[in-house]
Amino acid sequence: MPGWYYDKKELRNTPSATAGLDFKTEMRYRKEGARFIIDTGMKMDLGYNTTATGVVYFHRFYMFHSFQQFPRYVTACCCLFLAGKVEETPKKCKDIIKIARTLLPDHKFTTFGCDPKEEVMTLERILLQTIKFDLQVEHPYQFLLKYAKCLKGDKAKLQKMVQMAWTFVNDSLCTTLCLQWEPEIIAVALMYLAGKLSKFEVMDWVGRSAKHLRWWDMFVEDVTMDLLEDICHQVLDLYSQPAAAKSPPESPPLSGEKAPISPKNAANGNERTQISPEQPPVPALPRLPPPADVPQFPYQTFTHAPPPLASYAPVSFPAPPVNTPPPAPPHIAGPPPNVFPPYVNHPPPFPAVGPPPPYFGNGLPPSQSQHPHRQYFQPS
Amino acid sequence: MQSKHHSSHHSSITMSMRDKEKYIETFSFPYCEEATKYQTVAKIGQGTFGEVFKARDINNPKKFVAMKKVLMDNEKEGFPITALREIRILQLLKHDNVVNLIEICRTKASLHNRYRSTFYLVFDFCEHDLAGLLSNVNVKFSLGEIKKVMQQLLNGLYYIHFNKILHRDMKAANVLITKGGILKLADFGLARAFSTSKTGVPNRFTNRVVTLWYRPPELLLGDRNYGPPVDLWGAGCIMAEMWTRSPIMQGNSEQQQLTLISQLCGSINPTSWPGVEKLDMYNNMELPQEQKRKVKERLRPYMKDPWAVDLLDKLLTLDPSKRLDADGALNHDFFWTDPMPVDLSKMLATHTQSMFEFLAPARRATQVNRHHSMPRPSASSVQDGGYQDRVF
Repeated sequence: MPGWYYDKKELRNTPSATAGLDFKTEMRYRKEGARFIIDTGMKMDLGYNTTATGVVYFHRFYMFHSFQQFPRYVTACCCLFLAGKVEETPKKCKDIIKIARTLLPDHKFTTFGCDPKEEVMTLERILLQTIKFDLQVEHPYQFLLKYAKCLKGDKAKLQKMVQMAWTFVNDSLCTTLCLQWEPEIIAVALMYLAGKLSKFEVMDWVGRSAKHLRWWDMFVEDVTMDLLEDICHQVLDLYSQPAAAKSPPESPPLSGEKAPISPKNAANGNERTQISPEQPPVPALPRLPPPADVPQFPYQTFTHAPPPLASYAPVSFPAPPVNTPPPAPPHIAGPPPNVFPPYVNHPPPFPAVGPPPPYFGNGLPPSQSQHPHRQYFQPS
Repeated sequence: MQSKHHSSHHSSITMSMRDKEKYIETFSFPYCEEATKYQTVAKIGQGTFGEVFKARDINNPKKFVAMKKVLMDNEKEGFPITALREIRILQLLKHDNVVNLIEICRTKASLHNRYRSTFYLVFDFCEHDLAGLLSNVNVKFSLGEIKKVMQQLLNGLYYIHFNKILHRDMKAANVLITKGGILKLADFGLARAFSTSKTGVPNRFTNRVVTLWYRPPELLLGDRNYGPPVDLWGAGCIMAEMWTRSPIMQGNSEQQQLTLISQLCGSINPTSWPGVEKLDMYNNMELPQEQKRKVKERLRPYMKDPWAVDLLDKLLTLDPSKRLDADGALNHDFFWTDPMPVDLSKMLATHTQSMFEFLAPARRATQVNRHHSMPRPSASSVQDGGYQDRVF
């Protein structure tokens, strides 16, 4: 069975690279596409799961096709359109395109051609074949919540850490991490990062045993510190990328200042500065403003602003191992209904089978005048 | 150096329409094989969203598959959400008593199809469906064989419910049986995931599911917060059919279906079913009162076996909260008393003809739209000529 994980060499050897696109530009295109999916999803009130699924489809698509062949914003719309249906939060194709038009400058929207809907529809079939109908995608969010439930310590600090980690997960969508590591590992790494930056050191956890050196040893195996640091740096590099002056015009300006550590090559860093609270890579992080001063950001990203902890009413953090509601981390839409998603990832929020949802309507009412297909059972 | 690829150059770096068409036509999708690897043998049915064909694997001529075409002609919103749902659910469910999805195939995109591939869901082929078997008088099930059928059916239901999936279209035609005697639940075109609402927020599922004759009373009364018991009602209807050989309650309308249910299972009221008065349609439907429950009395002439009658009685329970679940049913003495469940392969070996409800000649004449069912796209195209002969 083909997997969806690639090593760094493969990530540099993509169809886009083969067709002559340099690595930095490809990474920027990926980031812009992901960002666009997130922004469009947010505008349409799609949940974080749908958005993240769309972004993962997007990254996978470009492991088989090049950005030169398929313009990224059309692909992005298509991925969000498909993710909406898969995650049971369908949006009409034309509505997605409508939002895309408002988010994109005219010269970028021209890639949608003269019949944008047709363009997206044709691409959908290519997308489905490319991702081998692997529709079900898991994201770090659910693991983040699961792991957080097991950690002991100061509840306020823990909550702050989880919120920060959640935001890192949001931002990680703009990297190719979902093509490199399982969501469990990304969740561990970004919790580790958030723990460092918020100075929350996990000393004890539920289910601790002698053979567990670190809390994540309970959940993932063979995860080295080098690996965690590498994942963290791939996210941190987002914030230290050249700001508006250096970045090409079509790239959205980043408000993040240049970080004290020199950014290494995102996907190939080996010599890394150790992440430590004393040398924060993102200056804003350690000095989070007092909650009341922070504006509300519906979708948190550290590339735009520090995490708005203010929007969170202090919820009592679940005392492990009791089954209390999950902590309320920052997220795109509402918090997940259950800590652990049901077997099929997200419970579909609206009744969609049977009579098709209004805008998928094409069925006829069931005929009531049919004859029985077998003789009646005549009860005695 | 990045400026090379600026948007102003987009037209030059992205493909022209013709280049793109050529590209799509020649791109070999590594994860989605071409449908030409299979050779169609016969049309064997009509699924929720498309026709079903029997086909032969060209590279392995002894291997047969069922190919379900994904109909997209009338779709305004691209690949149908129902098909996506079925694919996702089938990828999740891997069990002996659930039909196995092998892969999804495509036709080559070309000018011929406006560069739009057609997709097929490819399943392991099953020789029979239960409706087809039951409609053939030459097929006789012994009590032990009936037990085997029901045990496998309930095993399948136990598994899918354990995985939080509702089938929502239980009926004899959706129960497949291989020539080796293995039962497979099929057609997950109406299936969906469910979660028991721990949050206290009731589900708002559509109640317009399940073929009318197999539809449980809670759905007929407008319940939208239903669960696994809807499938167990269908299992009860199918169980009775194992002896009666035809569906036991063949209503022509939802009202008539409720009347038939009341006449068999007793009056529907807050005494027999506490809380029923809260269902949306409770006051809109005519519910015959003073009806005695006659499940055992009316089925005993057919079923004889007292354990069978008792199990059926517990499956056809009006109140879904009191209806036996799959686990409870599997533990019923019916399955643990002599004669014990018996393998079906021996009996099936005496029948060399594939039996599908779709192909059964007796019904073809009278029945164009064979079943009361959910709206099925292009259901009217069922009987186009050429494939009406039995397979083999």
